[in-house]
Amino acid sequence: MTRVDGTPDVALELEDIQAGALYERPSPYVGTYLLLRIVDRTDGRELVRRLHRIANPAGGADSAGATSLTVAFTYRGLEALGVPQESLDTFAPEFRQGMAARAEILGDTGESAPDRWEEPLGTDAVHVAIAVLSSDEEQLAAVAEKARAAQTELPGIELIWKQDCYQLATGRTSFGFKDGIGQPAVEGSGRPATDARERPLRAGEIILGYPDETGELPPMPSPDVLGRNGTYIVFRKLHTRVAAYRSYLRARAATRAEEDLLGAKMVGRWQSGAPLAVSPDADDPELGGDPRRNNDFGFGDDPRGFKCPVGAHARRANPRDALDDEGSVDVRLHRMIRRGTSYGPMLPDGVTEDDGVDRGIVFVFAGAHLRRQFEFVKTQWLNDGIFIGAPLESDPLVGPHHEPGSFTIPQRPIRRKLQDLPPFVTTRGGEYCFAPSLSALRWLAELDT
Amino acid sequence: MTEDTGTPTPGLEVGPTSEFSLFFRVLDGQGPSLRAALLELQGTPGYRPGDYGMAIKTIHEARFVLFDDDTRLAFITSFDGPWDAYMEDFFTSGPTLALFDVIFGHVEGYDGLPDLAAVRAFVLGAEQTAAAYARNYPGTVKEIRKAQRVNAAFQQVLDHPQAAEALGHPAMQPLLDEAAD
Repeated sequence: MTRVDGTPDVALELEDIQAGALYERPSPYVGTYLLLRIVDRTDGRELVRRLHRIANPAGGADSAGATSLTVAFTYRGLEALGVPQESLDTFAPEFRQGMAARAEILGDTGESAPDRWEEPLGTDAVHVAIAVLSSDEEQLAAVAEKARAAQTELPGIELIWKQDCYQLATGRTSFGFKDGIGQPAVEGSGRPATDARERPLRAGEIILGYPDETGELPPMPSPDVLGRNGTYIVFRKLHTRVAAYRSYLRARAATRAEEDLLGAKMVGRWQSGAPLAVSPDADDPELGGDPRRNNDFGFGDDPRGFKCPVGAHARRANPRDALDDEGSVDVRLHRMIRRGTSYGPMLPDGVTEDDGVDRGIVFVFAGAHLRRQFEFVKTQWLNDGIFIGAPLESDPLVGPHHEPGSFTIPQRPIRRKLQDLPPFVTTRGGEYCFAPSLSALRWLAELDT
Repeated sequence: MTEDTGTPTPGLEVGPTSEFSLFFRVLDGQGPSLRAALLELQGTPGYRPGDYGMAIKTIHEARFVLFDDDTRLAFITSFDGPWDAYMEDFFTSGPTLALFDVIFGHVEGYDGLPDLAAVRAFVLGAEQTAAAYARNYPGTVKEIRKAQRVNAAFQQVLDHPQAAEALGHPAMQPLLDEAAD
């Protein structure tokens, strides 16, 4: 097999890559996130040895999404395991600093600032992150039990945080939208693209050790056995202020249909997942639920955003062909694997009073480039509006809105401008992690420093 | 280099716009050919005076300056957004790199395409952050272009025989205030 440009297709070492680093989550899903602290190095290595046995390779029979356990480490975690300093120094600078240290850059200030984060997120105590996701409650329980067992009788390992997640009965996020659409395909992953207009990403955009979109190998931690087939993982617990979101829309809409339209304009998709770019005037649940069609579109025919506003969440997060004529942006350098999941119960339909219950999204990113993928999209496209010629506007749904924000909805004859947007999402914490290959897990378990 | 990230600084910023200046040493004896290459660039569609259509849509203006008897070259521009965030993009998107390749071939330290990492290091090595930077208008190129389109449309409205009448509605007062000159 060769690519269009003549270079050979890359054969990904799927048996060595953790499934969670490469593939989107199952749907529907249930899951658990665990954070562990390594107090004792020997116990830490024994934990890694046990986790190595139950982590799932992307090439495994189970990789179609039934159940998977993914293991990742923070910089402090690798340090706690005794990874030599000269090796630690070869990791990406953002990873070495950790997410809390990047808070100002990421817009995590005010209510979202690390000093307001949920304990122990953002602290040096977070060493190991484990995600177990399954399409089935029983299988989840079985694998989660294995994960717990891996940690039992290891007094030098502390379970310091646990977060359950599950798909809401509606199959949608707490804001009411179908999500998880729009993943890029990755060369060699064996998964077909859902957007026929987007060539699969070169493997090095997601997995270390392979050429990326620039034609080069992404900077990779050394030794090779530690870096190769690994990927960086970002997780963020994001509290969604659903009542505030609903009452904001209600106050600005005369009818339920207008509420739905305003919400769709903010998101870039209707609640069913149907893209505005394809169905601009009304929701089309059949389109929203059709994986062959709900991601097969561009924005190039709508430069002014009459169908999908240029500032809509989905268009910001992935502008597709909208910036092709800019001469300064290569959208393919800013793609990522997202594995977001919901936590907390749904706010009952129609309720606009806050019930005080914590609900939201655990956002998970996988990619080879923390800075030019996750941080770029967050800082340049979601938190800022320079790139769309609206420096004072940020993402209407997930933008920080430290000052009350605005959002322009292009429409004829006169554009509509939503004013006084409050923050609808608050960061409760998160971390930058590294999900090593299976052989790297073995290498970590056998360290003798 | 900034201390906290080990990454290059993007230059000084005023509002959404940042300055970006590169300084190179011209290869021995290449002064005349570089001058010719720059002249040729100046004749390229989009770069001719009055074209206002450079390949990179997010820069306000750009200049190449040969100085010290054509032994040195400066490239100076203003860019909407932080330059460093877009560094890889410049070198993988559009015609930018091919265009610069022709110029960079005449200066020291440039080993040419296609090693993008080397090109990136070469460019960042030539970057000097300004000691002072000021702008006389706010706004991105996109906003300026929009403002120009809006003003052209407004002038068209004013040229209409019934413009005064049309602008008589109270909602038009801010426009009427701008209509008198």
